[in-house]
Amino acid sequence: MSDIVIRAEALGKRYRISHRRERRGDDSAYDSSPKHEDFWALRDVSFEVKRGEALGIIGRNGAGKSTLFKLLSRITETTEGKASIRGHVASLLEVGTGFHPELTGRENIYLNGSILGMSRAEIRKKFDEIVAFAEIERFLDTPVKRYSSGMYVRLAFSVAAHLEPDILLVDEVLAVGDVAFQRKCMDYMKRLARSGITILLVSHDLFAVKTMCRRVLALSGGRLKFDGLPAEGIDLYEKDSRLEADPWAAGIIGEDIDQWPIIIRFVELLDADGSPRTVYDYGERMRVRIHYESRKPVRHPNFYLGIRRPDNVVCCSFSAARDGATVPTLDRSGVIELLTPPLRLVSDLYSTYAGVWDREFKNLYCGQIGPNFHVRDEVLNQHFGVFHVPGEWRWGVNGHKNIGSGE
Amino acid sequence: MQEQSVIPQQAESERFDLLIEAGRGEKNYWRDLWRYRELFYFLAWRDILVRYKQTAIGIAWALVRPFLTMLVFTFIFSRVAKLPAPGSVPYALLVFAAMLPWQFFSTALGEASNSLIGNANLISKVYFPRLIVPAGSVITSFVDFLITLGLMAGMMVWYGFLPDWRLLTLPLFTALAFGSAFGAGLWLCALNVRYRDFRYIVPFIVQFGLYLSPVGFSSNIVPERLRLIYACNPMVGVIDGFRWALLRGQSPLAAPELIASILVTSVLCLSGIWYFRRTEKTFADII
Repeated sequence: MSDIVIRAEALGKRYRISHRRERRGDDSAYDSSPKHEDFWALRDVSFEVKRGEALGIIGRNGAGKSTLFKLLSRITETTEGKASIRGHVASLLEVGTGFHPELTGRENIYLNGSILGMSRAEIRKKFDEIVAFAEIERFLDTPVKRYSSGMYVRLAFSVAAHLEPDILLVDEVLAVGDVAFQRKCMDYMKRLARSGITILLVSHDLFAVKTMCRRVLALSGGRLKFDGLPAEGIDLYEKDSRLEADPWAAGIIGEDIDQWPIIIRFVELLDADGSPRTVYDYGERMRVRIHYESRKPVRHPNFYLGIRRPDNVVCCSFSAARDGATVPTLDRSGVIELLTPPLRLVSDLYSTYAGVWDREFKNLYCGQIGPNFHVRDEVLNQHFGVFHVPGEWRWGVNGHKNIGSGE
Repeated sequence: MQEQSVIPQQAESERFDLLIEAGRGEKNYWRDLWRYRELFYFLAWRDILVRYKQTAIGIAWALVRPFLTMLVFTFIFSRVAKLPAPGSVPYALLVFAAMLPWQFFSTALGEASNSLIGNANLISKVYFPRLIVPAGSVITSFVDFLITLGLMAGMMVWYGFLPDWRLLTLPLFTALAFGSAFGAGLWLCALNVRYRDFRYIVPFIVQFGLYLSPVGFSSNIVPERLRLIYACNPMVGVIDGFRWALLRGQSPLAAPELIASILVTSVLCLSGIWYFRRTEKTFADII
């Protein structure tokens, strides 16, 4: 007996997209293009998953992640290839599927449980656990249509999480609920993984993927581009996403030069010595190069760099005007460089975004998403706060004896 | 960066529970259906529960609704239409005995044909044997039918007209009604997924069906030579059977017609299952 629970061999899914044949106005001839076009949402995807593995699946929108899940959970049929599966598969494609708004929390637990494949006896056994996990005891007999969205999501996740399948497919469900609950869900999934349940996780939340999974698959355009360690896969995905960010910026900026007089072409992250980096140690300095192109002279552009955590908390930011720098009037392309003080951020994945304001932060001239980076530290993580700055410690009431500072 | 895992030669000893492959007739289907058997119950339970949520008199509607429907139809057909009744049977009972299966058939058909679309979010998000959805709708309607059957019993006591041994054959005719509603429902709900036209066609079928079935009249007013063709409407056999079983055989039941109805129902059921199974794999893609 080998320990492989999923074996996908050259899986593919084709959709037919129909186009409307339109009369051409000028010569009233019919468009000669075919009426149907084939679109491969997924093609030639092969991989194996072992029992108890936590596998992350990443990729941009439309890369085929959800299609892969739909095939594995038998919601839709494959067009080619095959997949062999051992054990019971449960999928959490969208929390709350099958909830009926008119029914109470109690009734929905039974309904949702049975839709997801639990027997009545199983649900009854798990009932208290589900309610406790969702923290909705007081509202058990309230119709879920009156629930807050947080309660709704908590209940839905809780039912699905107590399924005890052999293989659990999780699609983007961690993007909901408050941060505390997200953390709880993640801890719970880690516990499931430890107990031998195989977990496949689709997420755009790279932090979640990184902490949950020992291996990732990166999909792009319906094809499997990478299968291996999370750090490498995430790197690849980020490169892929950056390609996406450029056209986005070009699109949003538009033609109005008065409104968007300056464009940020791209942002580079380097170490203090000037070589490219994506991982920094706690306390390291970061050099940021912002490549801009000014389409019209801009007086005193106020360059700005923000650093954001995966849960969208802006942890810190730098601004030329705030930091006492006066940038001269810019009228062509160029680079502006920022050397940060030693970064005191705790270890996590961060994203950057750059922008140009006027000196008073009244007008935003442009904005662009920059690369992501990791901060690495053995000890300091989110439990220590957003950042950590060492303090001075003294012993005794009046503190006459300095016992050292953190540096 | 291309780095795909290499698939080793499959060892003979490996056993997978499930093989997902294009065009594969799933041998697990009927086993899955059995595994998900409680879902029949839960979906029906949900539909019944939801129907009477936030109503003042609650579940009492389950009694009031069919009773009022019966009252209206009995009045229309016995007072307004003035159709002749055979033997000593009170006209109201004659109508009621026919309304009973008809009401079941028409609501079951209507609900079943819209069932897949109504549960589109489930279909596109979760796997379970899809057959459960239309079947669940028929079961929901069946619960209403049982309640109405209780009303029928009350009416028979009221008129002092009690059934004889023939009552024991009622389950057979009930099964026939169930089968024809289920079979037709399967066809219509599967077609409805792709062609929403059926959403408008079904109400017509139900409306015309009422006049094409011997609900307000007795089927012996149909000319003798047309009887067999007439019985191709499966509800003819069902309604005649209900009358025969409930009204001490005072309303006639002809064997050839009954057999024709049974045959049509069987064909409807089997072909319905065949068509449903053939198309259900694409439901999630096109719904």
